[in-house]
Amino acid sequence: MSDPSDPAVAVELRGVAKRFGSFTAVDHLDLAIRAGEFFTLLGASGCGKTTTLRLIAGFELPTEGHVLLGGRDVSEVPAFQRPVHTVFQNYALFPHLSVLDNVAFPLRVRRLSRAEQRARAMAALEMVQLQGLADRKPSQLSGGQQQRAALARALVNEPQVLLLDEPLGALDLKLRKEMQLELKAMQRRLGITFVFVTHDQEEALTMSDRIALMQGGRIVQLDTPTGLYDAPQSLYAAQFIGETNLIAGRVVSSGAAGTVVETLGRRMTLPPSAVAAGDAVTLAIRPERLRRGGGTDAPEGRLEELDFIGTDLRLVYRMADGSRLVLRQQNDGGPMPTPGEAARIAFSPRDLRLFPTDPERTPQ
Amino acid sequence: MTAPHPPGWATRTFVYGVSGWVTLLTYLFMLAPIVVLVAFAFNEGKSSVVWTGFSLDWFGKVWSNRHIARALNVSLIVAGASAAIATAIGALAAVAITRRQFPGRDLLGAALAAPLVLPEIVLAVALLVFMSFAGVTLGYTTMVIGHVLVSIPFATLIVRAAASSLDPRLENAAADLGANEWQTFRMVTLPQLMPAILTAFLLSATLSFDNLVMSTFTSGVGTTTLPLRIYSMLKLGITPEINALGAMMVAANVAILLLVMGRYLPLMLNSNRR
Repeated sequence: MSDPSDPAVAVELRGVAKRFGSFTAVDHLDLAIRAGEFFTLLGASGCGKTTTLRLIAGFELPTEGHVLLGGRDVSEVPAFQRPVHTVFQNYALFPHLSVLDNVAFPLRVRRLSRAEQRARAMAALEMVQLQGLADRKPSQLSGGQQQRAALARALVNEPQVLLLDEPLGALDLKLRKEMQLELKAMQRRLGITFVFVTHDQEEALTMSDRIALMQGGRIVQLDTPTGLYDAPQSLYAAQFIGETNLIAGRVVSSGAAGTVVETLGRRMTLPPSAVAAGDAVTLAIRPERLRRGGGTDAPEGRLEELDFIGTDLRLVYRMADGSRLVLRQQNDGGPMPTPGEAARIAFSPRDLRLFPTDPERTPQ
Repeated sequence: MTAPHPPGWATRTFVYGVSGWVTLLTYLFMLAPIVVLVAFAFNEGKSSVVWTGFSLDWFGKVWSNRHIARALNVSLIVAGASAAIATAIGALAAVAITRRQFPGRDLLGAALAAPLVLPEIVLAVALLVFMSFAGVTLGYTTMVIGHVLVSIPFATLIVRAAASSLDPRLENAAADLGANEWQTFRMVTLPQLMPAILTAFLLSATLSFDNLVMSTFTSGVGTTTLPLRIYSMLKLGITPEINALGAMMVAANVAILLLVMGRYLPLMLNSNRR
């Protein structure tokens, strides 16, 4: 570790691995989280995202590799000496202490004066709009209020890095959306680095500056929300983030001028790609990039299902070659299509993403 | 013509009817002697069997009896000391057993619960033999050790139950917020166990206060406890003075029980929720 550490990097993992017996939870992770960034670890359960968070917090020590906080190697430093605080999934508020005493806990541990403890805890409670409930016990708060109290407690000490372990998981949808915006606004205002763990891709897209999509203890793709959504680098990423149509195709020719693919009974030219003529490929396209109506060169399908979502219509078409396409269009007040109706489905070839066919993820 | 009974009627009637009566009779059997004992404490005459009239004299007699006052004093000292020691050991052991991994953990748990299944008289004899072998004079020390031995399994079990229902994530949270192990124990673990610890203390004190077998074997000259005093008074014949003393002890025990149940049990249930 001789290279000078970058002050702009708040958290760094170097070749970190964590094994529990024969199970590898985190597999040689290299990761640099910038100071002041809203960074999200996203993945299905068991992908290693929570273990990664626990490694940063110090609840787990790495089997291999190094954890650095603000350029300092803390791999062997116990949790209570690390300058990070965590908002836990179940909030983990102390049931025997009042809300105020919960928030003042990190200050009490540091032996600040009673007056200062109180003043700073009250300020933190005001920040999350809980000043009126300071004397309540945690069990007397609603889920959303407990969430705010846990947030105030984790922020009162002004940590360099705030870790959030699926903090919104237990809230109902409406409250969740509100808290997403509030958390994001708070992070901007305080300029604290947030490391956020979630399995909810929509939440990740809404809140994050950058997202690390994890699978099997590794990072599949580290990107901005737009990058991850619009330019997934793998079939897994394309499927995990948002809804995606997967269509089977075959490479007709491949060269510097582009890749010609045959799919849905049509031929189209895509940007150059590392595939060979004759390869079976999978093409991914987002439902909202498909349009109803198109010229005679557009493939034809028949409407099978129609879901009315309110702002959107979700239409499922069975194409002439048997593949199934989901199309989303805005509810613009136009005439509603009826099931059984035939339509031509138009799309631009540049919205197609091409992946080598994965035998485990065959398109329908 | 009688209407046919629904299926299972006979079984249901039998089970509910009989179990109700059995319960009632059991309570009657258990409580009746105590009621009689308390009633005759207010008897005017010298008999504990024949009612002659109402009087509070016997309570006054108990109150002014120096032997009883001294025995009560001994009992309270032994109960307080043994309960404090048993609770301290029991609580620390309970926390260690439920919260820490160490070799011999299960063995320690079993060893602490062992006095529960061993006959108390065997424990008492063993302790007496050991003490005389070690050359310790019988007195407060031996009696407190004996009572600690009797109380420890109960104290451990009570605190263990509370400790095992503590959320381990709270200790994680405390560490995350900067508390070292000692601060975590003092500020998070201990306060949550306090109701159970107080309950364990009161139960241990009650067990010690009522103890006869262990006291018989471990008391020395001048350390006669209240139960020992009552037993020796019985040898001289049953007078309502014993009834009055018994009534007072029942009242004290019930008061402690109500205190535990009314004050600490709801607290315990509260803190263990979630």
